[in-house]
Amino acid sequence: MPHSTKNPFAKKQSSLEKKEKTLFSLFAFCTYFIIICASCIFLNIIWNGTPVLMQKGLSFITQKPETLAVLEMAKSDKYQVPSENFNNLLKSNPQEIPIKSLSVSEKQFQFVSFKIKQGSIIGDGYLLNIEKDNPGTHIKFTERKSPKLLGFNLENDKQFTLSKKELSSIQKNDPQLIQSEITEKKLSLNNKKVTIKAGEYPISKEAHDSLLKSDLIFQMKQSFPDDEPDKINLTVIPHDQTITVSSSVFYSAFDDEDASSPLPTTSIENSPFQKTITTFSLPKAHYKVSPETLKILSNHGIKHLHNTDLGSIVINEEIKASLTLDKKAYTQLIKDNPNLVTSDTKEHQESLSYTNFSIEKDCEVQLNASDLDIFSKNPNFKPSSKKTHSYSGGGILGPIIGTACLVIICMVIALFTGIAAATYLNEYARKGTFTKTIRLAMLNLAGVPSIVFGLFGLGLFVMLAPVFSNTPKVESKLHIPIISLGSPPELRTMEAEGIVAVDPDLSTSQAVATASTQGAKKFHNGYYYISFQGWGTCMLAGGFTLAIMVLPVIITSCEESLKAVPMGFREASMALGATKWQSIRTAVLPYAFSGILTASILGITRVAGETAPIMFTAAVAEKSDLPWQGIHSSGFSAFIDFLQQSVQALPYHIFTVAGRIPQSEYTRPMQYGSVLVFMIIVLLLSAVSIYLRNKVRGKIKW
Amino acid sequence: MININNVSFSYDKGKTEVLKNISLDIPEKKVTSFIGPSGCGKSTLLRCINRMNDLVETSMITTGQIDVMGQNINSKEVDPIELRKHIGMVFQKYNPFPKSIYDNVAYGLRIQGIKNKKTLDQAVERSLRGAALWDEVKDRLKDSALGLSGGQQQRLCIARAIAVQPKIILMDEPCSALDPIATAKVEELITELREEFTIVIVTHSMQQASRISDHTAFFYLGELIEYGQTDTIFQNPSKKRTEDYISGRFG
Ligand SMILES: Nc1ncnc2c1ncn2[C@@H]1O[C@H](COP(=O)(O)OP(=O)(O)OP(=O)(O)O)[C@@H](O)[C@H]1O
Ligand SMILES: [Mg+2]
Repeated sequence: MPHSTKNPFAKKQSSLEKKEKTLFSLFAFCTYFIIICASCIFLNIIWNGTPVLMQKGLSFITQKPETLAVLEMAKSDKYQVPSENFNNLLKSNPQEIPIKSLSVSEKQFQFVSFKIKQGSIIGDGYLLNIEKDNPGTHIKFTERKSPKLLGFNLENDKQFTLSKKELSSIQKNDPQLIQSEITEKKLSLNNKKVTIKAGEYPISKEAHDSLLKSDLIFQMKQSFPDDEPDKINLTVIPHDQTITVSSSVFYSAFDDEDASSPLPTTSIENSPFQKTITTFSLPKAHYKVSPETLKILSNHGIKHLHNTDLGSIVINEEIKASLTLDKKAYTQLIKDNPNLVTSDTKEHQESLSYTNFSIEKDCEVQLNASDLDIFSKNPNFKPSSKKTHSYSGGGILGPIIGTACLVIICMVIALFTGIAAATYLNEYARKGTFTKTIRLAMLNLAGVPSIVFGLFGLGLFVMLAPVFSNTPKVESKLHIPIISLGSPPELRTMEAEGIVAVDPDLSTSQAVATASTQGAKKFHNGYYYISFQGWGTCMLAGGFTLAIMVLPVIITSCEESLKAVPMGFREASMALGATKWQSIRTAVLPYAFSGILTASILGITRVAGETAPIMFTAAVAEKSDLPWQGIHSSGFSAFIDFLQQSVQALPYHIFTVAGRIPQSEYTRPMQYGSVLVFMIIVLLLSAVSIYLRNKVRGKIKW
Repeated sequence: MININNVSFSYDKGKTEVLKNISLDIPEKKVTSFIGPSGCGKSTLLRCINRMNDLVETSMITTGQIDVMGQNINSKEVDPIELRKHIGMVFQKYNPFPKSIYDNVAYGLRIQGIKNKKTLDQAVERSLRGAALWDEVKDRLKDSALGLSGGQQQRLCIARAIAVQPKIILMDEPCSALDPIATAKVEELITELREEFTIVIVTHSMQQASRISDHTAFFYLGELIEYGQTDTIFQNPSKKRTEDYISGRFG
């Protein structure tokens, strides 16, 4: 072939080359853009999060979320606090605190350990104090009774101003109590007579509280939540009423100018009247009086821990545990509760090491709530300013545990139903329009925004799902009585949960009506019900919601892995005389396992990071107990109680710290710390998933 | 042993027939081979005998009846699971489970609920010996079956099939994925197995059919063209088509 001088490979169209080049740079740009974005995010988190983790160390994840107060302390001498709290101070303050003249001293404390005898009677508050000082004890009781005498301590001489009626009641019940001179005085007061029409009216909490003291018959549509004191709720006035109210009630509930949303009245009349008030004084001492007297006195500023409305607690159950109180509290307990009998009392001493120090110059100090309590016992502890910053102390143990619980519950549900559904679709169901429709539905479900799942979970699991219980909620959507069985729960639970026992002869609707007029939240009439009342905001509801959210992903990937198992395995197994399920179980599922495993770990990382579905169904911003703490039941019901708790969750916690609390330089690092930990957990999970997949893949091949 | 009487079969609820009026009797303890061009329905007929076609939802036998050991296998009283325990099957693509050799052979027995270790041990040894594999694998019963060579894997599948002691073994092109030496071994095995089992084998190899089978059936486009003694079919076919196919003029 003759050699031609012309280059056959010469460039022909320079425009094409240009196009190539632009496309190349466009694609490259997109790639680099993604890489840069990703590294910016990661670097930002690592850059801001690492110092927090370095400073807090492991305690950042082994500690419950902590709220610190920032105090400005003046230079001052001689603080004395328990060494434990002093160490907490050092821990909470990474920066140097100017401390000098450190010394440690020992202090002796007297403690009394004792047992409570059966049949003892004790006031509510005292019981709670005992339980607080003896963690883990939970004393059940089944009866309340008003004993003849209750004790209280008056620390200073005190003057009382009572109405005549109150005084005569005291003189009747406790003739010996008042030794001092009694003076009388006449007052002219003005009551108001108001007429209110039947209807529904918005009222404030303040108006509601004052109306409780009046004779008005009314019912609230909703209750006032503790954390929203300014909320306005609807009240229902069933019929026209004319009542006489004191002026204080009048001004808070009916007066136009003052109350934020007053009740409308059709007529107001003055009804002046005369009132006699009496005055006397009691010297400081320890007194024993009748419950009636104590009730009157406590309306006038006496402090005690008895419950004069419901009566004292009768302890009928034998308490085996030995209880411990410090000696002062024990003496007070015995004095205030004349009907409390203790046995096996033993005194012992414990020494506690205290740290003495002084602060050299003015500085800023961070303290958590319980340490602050202890520090403020020092007489010279007078910070010039004090400001609390929510969650500025870090600690994410609660959220981590909560998320773990949610993920476990969710995965148990999702894997069980997901594998079952995938097996059904791939192995049993006829291939046809039915399976196609289901797949299409699932595809769409996977695209539903997660907040929709949250709302769905709220409607279905939190508010509607059925519960099997002998104490169903009054406001349940539907009560289906099943069997008559069992006794009511013990009184303490009844009181704590607002359960009212009603006559077993009443029909369900009558029982519900009776209980609701008594203001009950739940009722008991000896029947077990299937009650459509929802599970409440709890792990179970959250787990189910998350499970429904990941199910499409799980089912799709399980089906993929089932499809990947060669048909030959099924045929070989069937040809050997295996039933359908036998061949699925022994010749299909084991070989789909690696795919299912990967899918489920990917599902876990997705579920762990979701905020919206758990926001309404399971997560709370603040909870001091870990899920297994504070459960008093045993056996299966303890398991149910465990599942029926709300939890903190990591993504929700980050949302709270980053967006729902007031931001400051003390809280901001904590959100980065939480995010960093979260990211590490997710990365670890992914790594485990890849490792497991490779391992299982390596073992099984065909 | 197997009496196929005027069977027509369709994969799509009778719209098109893959098998058309097939009748043949397969004698006991003999090797019968099915030959014919690809797509003529050999596998389909084979899978009718142990009702593996049940797995295809739209499949049905439109006419005729198949009797195995005197029982109509498509009658209501017949449980396909029980039927398959009596009719083993070996597939074209050897498909041992990704388990140990031992577990593969014991699979069928375990499915039937046999857990006794000794019974299983004996059955595994008997089956592996029966499949002429025992000497090759006796030291590595716990190793994965996937570590065996192709021929060994196919013989393992035969061992797996005979472990449940069926009366009949169906083989769908058992040697098509094997090299000549492995094929020879499997063929040898088949001639040995004839003593105990009734064997039906689908094959594309004329030589193989003539070497190992007592009877041969030639199918073409879903029809049974000719069926008889292997010698007769190969040396003296009565139909022109059979002769063309055997002599390699088409197919
Ligand atoms: N599961 C099935 N569903 C629908 N049609 C099928 C199915 N299996 C086989 N067929 C059809 O039935 C006909 C016979 O197939 P079959 O597998 O029995 O042929 P074969 O003789 O075994 O061929 P080969 O020698 O290639 O294995 C073919 O036309 C095939 O397309
Ligand atoms: Mg075939």
